[in-house]
Amino acid sequence: MTDLKSKIVPTWCPGCQDFVIYASLQQAIINQKIDIKDLVIVYDIGCIGNMADFLKVFGVHSLHGRSVPTAVGIKLAHPELKVVVVGGDGGVYGEGLSHLIAAARLNIDITVLVANNQLYSLTTGQTSPTTPKGAKTKSTPKGVESVPVEPEGLIRAVNPEAWVKHVSCQKPPEVTEAIEAALKHHGFDLLDIDQLCVSFGKQLL
Amino acid sequence: MGIKSAGLLLAKIVTEAGYYFADYSEYPSLIRGGHNTYQITVSPKEVFMADKKANLLIALSPGHEEDGKNLLKIPLSTMTMQLGGQIYANTISIGAICWILDLNRENAKNIVTGYYGDDPKNPEAFEIGWGWAGTNAKKNEIDKVKDNGDKGSIMDGNEAFGWGLFRGGCNFFAAYPMTPATGVLHFLAKNQDKFGIKVVQPEDEIAVANEATGASIAGASAAVATSGGGFALMNEAVSFGGMIGAGVVYFVGQRPGPATGMPTWTVQGDLLYSVFSGHGEFAKIVLAPGDTQECWECGWESINLANKYDIPVIVLADKILCESSKNIIDPEKGKVEVIKSKKIIPGSGIYLYNSYEHDEEGFSTEDAGIAKKGTEERLNKMKNILKIEKYIFNFYGSKTARNLIVSWGSTKGAILEAIRGNSDMAYLQIKMLWPLNKEIEKVIKSFKTKILVENNATAQLGKLLRSEMGIEFNKTVLKYDGRPFFPNELKEELI
Repeated sequence: MTDLKSKIVPTWCPGCQDFVIYASLQQAIINQKIDIKDLVIVYDIGCIGNMADFLKVFGVHSLHGRSVPTAVGIKLAHPELKVVVVGGDGGVYGEGLSHLIAAARLNIDITVLVANNQLYSLTTGQTSPTTPKGAKTKSTPKGVESVPVEPEGLIRAVNPEAWVKHVSCQKPPEVTEAIEAALKHHGFDLLDIDQLCVSFGKQLL
Repeated sequence: MGIKSAGLLLAKIVTEAGYYFADYSEYPSLIRGGHNTYQITVSPKEVFMADKKANLLIALSPGHEEDGKNLLKIPLSTMTMQLGGQIYANTISIGAICWILDLNRENAKNIVTGYYGDDPKNPEAFEIGWGWAGTNAKKNEIDKVKDNGDKGSIMDGNEAFGWGLFRGGCNFFAAYPMTPATGVLHFLAKNQDKFGIKVVQPEDEIAVANEATGASIAGASAAVATSGGGFALMNEAVSFGGMIGAGVVYFVGQRPGPATGMPTWTVQGDLLYSVFSGHGEFAKIVLAPGDTQECWECGWESINLANKYDIPVIVLADKILCESSKNIIDPEKGKVEVIKSKKIIPGSGIYLYNSYEHDEEGFSTEDAGIAKKGTEERLNKMKNILKIEKYIFNFYGSKTARNLIVSWGSTKGAILEAIRGNSDMAYLQIKMLWPLNKEIEKVIKSFKTKILVENNATAQLGKLLRSEMGIEFNKTVLKYDGRPFFPNELKEELI
């Protein structure tokens, strides 16, 4: 097996760093020799969630913000499965933040991968939970008033036993390596993957 | 011991003595104190709903009694002091009630002993009450029982529904506590190992519904329980289940709203909300049990329907059904069918359960033809349900009666009591409220005078029947003050 691509050609913008996560996740699954029969990937809504169409694995393209509880339900009902969540900063740290905290507290054995571009990009560039304070976006022309969510510190505070790591799409080999480490880890793990939106990210620069 | 617990002890005693009963409890949304009542109607014939008027009233706090020649003052304070706590007032009262009703002393005392386990003071309290009544009270017996057959098990609707879920093969249950449906969570949590059901209490109702949907995708038979407010939070997942074809049972114990409303009181206010729950157009089923036995039946019927059609199934109960007790057929024994879903689950194939519009493999699409076909396939499940399913209604009385009463859910008890022995009245109790079967229309239209009875303010079933079947009622009887219909008041309304 060389890859896990489906027949659907990815629709992300040319140069989008979602391609890095897409390639890294496939490579990590193959490297870790995970049996596809035992794998379920739950996708959130957003650009990264559209990966649902581009992978040939058992998948669930859930509701916005509800990828984590859907994955928790799958894992609780079928504990032998390897359950991976693929979402963005909007769904996982915004709409679904309480679910992320609850899953970390439960220390349930799921892997949550977050493509964190600090924006709502599929809806064309509004502020997200991780947008820096003061940043001017389409929905905050006077600057963001809130301080951003800091996922690593937050999850460590909730459960020191949870596995949390931050990597950047600037260094693709590190992304693959970190996904592999997350897949190997037993218990809850969150991989926060920093990226820059090629279409709307310039608001943040 | 709380009033409800003591009341159930009395229910047990009269059941063992061969009587039928129906009970009703009122209490405020407080942990301690407030005005708590437990009432029970006992008869040698089956009782469908407790009466409002009492023949015998025990008031444990001042101000609830009515002066009159039949007023007796039990020196409960002195008696409970002897026993070492006010907690024994209920058992003393039960002792007195048993003497007044002329029940068998030893049988009753044995039940008291068994009910409270190790505490030897309860049988003692029972004796004190019995003895006091013997010297001070007059007998007020109930008709003797002729047939002392097996009266099955005593339980409330929440427990009966939990039993039904288990018997129907449910193996995943999630809930966030919400009165009056919390009893289902308590019952299944307590029995999770015995029943082999994974029971969880997630962070909120949104997680409850999405975890149950996830469990269903992973091959479980999944159910949740809540009330109106919690169900509002679950609506997004109802729509999700309808889109992807993952069956989940939503048990909704209705309580008066809007908003937080009156948590410990009753209403039938969420019928239309349930029928139209979830955004978008898709198939769902709404069932309503009418009594405790049907709560059990709806437990396994609902889980089977969710698995057979892979759609959300909503079961509408209310405070009266959830928290009132009755005797039902031993829930372990009744014959039950178990249906498993045939959908693709992890390990059985590759598929994408997709909340977006999707094609046969689950891939997202915006193609006009596929979108139309997808919508039709989802809605066509309704046609199959109407064609195949027989869980539609109960009919009571004669087809040639002058009047037909139509209702759903817990009003059944008061209606059956109100029309007892009245050959002018027939009664149609609708059990499957969505989709509405044409058989219902046939029955209703065959009667000249049609009367609608609902425990809500807006005649919601009436609206459904009018819009779906063009049915007009000659009379509508509604009640929406948080209280159920009582038999006698309903009887007067029906004349």
